[in-house]
Amino acid sequence: MQALIQVNNLIYQYTDGAAVLQDINLTINEGEYLALIGPNGCGKTTLIRHFNALLQPSCGDVMVGGFNTRHAKNKMEIRRLAGMIFQNPENQIVGMTVEEDVAFGPANLGYPTAELRRRVDSALGMTGLQGMEKRTPYTLSGGEKQLLAMAGLLAMEPKLIILDEPTASLDLEGRNKVLGLIKDLHARGIAIIYVTHNLEEAALAERVLVMEKGRIIADDSSANVLSRVEWLQSLGLAPPRITELLWTLQQHGLDLPINLFSIETAGQEIISLFQQTRSK
Amino acid sequence: MYDLGQYIPGESKIHKLEPRVKLIAVIALSMIILRIGKPGIMLLAVSVILLSMIWLARLPLTQVLFSVKPAMLFFLVLFLLYLFFTPGRPLPLFPLGPVLISYEGLTIGIVQIWKFLLLITAASVLTITTNHAALTGGLERLLRPINIFRVSSHDIAILLGLALRFVPTLQQEMRNVRDAQLARGAKLALHRPAEQIRAVSGLAMPLLLNILRRSDELVDAMEARGYQPGRRSYLYEPELTRGEYIVITTLVILTAAIMIYPVV
Repeated sequence: MQALIQVNNLIYQYTDGAAVLQDINLTINEGEYLALIGPNGCGKTTLIRHFNALLQPSCGDVMVGGFNTRHAKNKMEIRRLAGMIFQNPENQIVGMTVEEDVAFGPANLGYPTAELRRRVDSALGMTGLQGMEKRTPYTLSGGEKQLLAMAGLLAMEPKLIILDEPTASLDLEGRNKVLGLIKDLHARGIAIIYVTHNLEEAALAERVLVMEKGRIIADDSSANVLSRVEWLQSLGLAPPRITELLWTLQQHGLDLPINLFSIETAGQEIISLFQQTRSK
Repeated sequence: MYDLGQYIPGESKIHKLEPRVKLIAVIALSMIILRIGKPGIMLLAVSVILLSMIWLARLPLTQVLFSVKPAMLFFLVLFLLYLFFTPGRPLPLFPLGPVLISYEGLTIGIVQIWKFLLLITAASVLTITTNHAALTGGLERLLRPINIFRVSSHDIAILLGLALRFVPTLQQEMRNVRDAQLARGAKLALHRPAEQIRAVSGLAMPLLLNILRRSDELVDAMEARGYQPGRRSYLYEPELTRGEYIVITTLVILTAAIMIYPVV
């Protein structure tokens, strides 16, 4: 597998010298599904802004698809490769109709009209927004707006989508749609970087990075990171409720694994344990 | 309830007209209207043209006239100014003491107000029958010749588009700020001017901060989507048909002729 993002000794500080990111070394491969978690102000958002060339490192290098973010001439290529979704969908919408908004990114890249049309239709298809082409984005629901923002990125045919707490302002239905779409995109081979406070959403990823005070303090499979219940709590993060429950049961001496994050699997474990004790 | 000149979707011939043709027609019509100085055949002709456009667009007349409503007070003041301050032959019964109303004042007052009504109606017919996307797209294509002066028609279209696109968002924001203040006991329906000014500045500051924050995020999102000033491509690139070229040429020649040889 090829490295999509390569971060070497990244340091980022404000002009007053306060360091926001320190000694970040990181490799993200094509097609990975990665969650980035950590308490507020730990530098998550600052870090991901480097992956889209919105920020340049103070020291060290960030390579996206082999392009160094330092050089202005690489910016367009990097933005085509790595799309970014922000928390508030309202402020990401530029177009006056749904289709014009989706076309905004590829139009900036200068694709001809026929190619724009193909990309817009394909992106609307993937996000389930077909039939809304002529709608005014203002009239969409919060979830639909976030799907529209994602369609706008997909039309640029990126290899990586970075999402900064995309579900924070959405209702349950909108949240499920966005998470479902992310799963689809991952299945299509698009790499995902998902920034969140919500560790249940982080559990959907394959790999989890934990940040604290501008450093990466853990980088492991989601099962390994999220089952460290006490450690996560000490960081001020709320572990998935199911994991917390399994951990509590384990503390009471029940023989249960804790690295399970779905109600179904956890339920099965508990039932089978229950049946075992009864048959004894 | 529709706001001033807000787009009303429709399937009429006027709705489907190429936006560039509509824009040029409205500009031509406005120039002609501004050229009119006296009541006469031109004023009548332009009024008939506009009425037939409203009829062709199947717009309810009340809807179009409604868009004039906010300007009514202005019209009234303007009319009174013309009425009282135009020297000329006095009307019967005048002068009444120092007050004098002349024939000239009355006719010019009526003609000027009539002209303003026609201008607003012409602009309203355009904006009521053309959606924002088509309007900015049409404007961009009309402005393309200015690109040789290193002024980007693309940037103007983006600016205008963003301004229009954020109107409903900012209206919502305004309501949110006001509701939040009402919920904390602010009194916004005040009578004394000083209190009103204080109340408005209380709304303006949070609104301004919100707008700045929003524009920061918008800039990031636009940059992340590869925006850079200058040339870009478009989802719709309609070529003008021969018929449309003929219409535009006729309009330009006709307007130029009227500008040079005004018909009363």
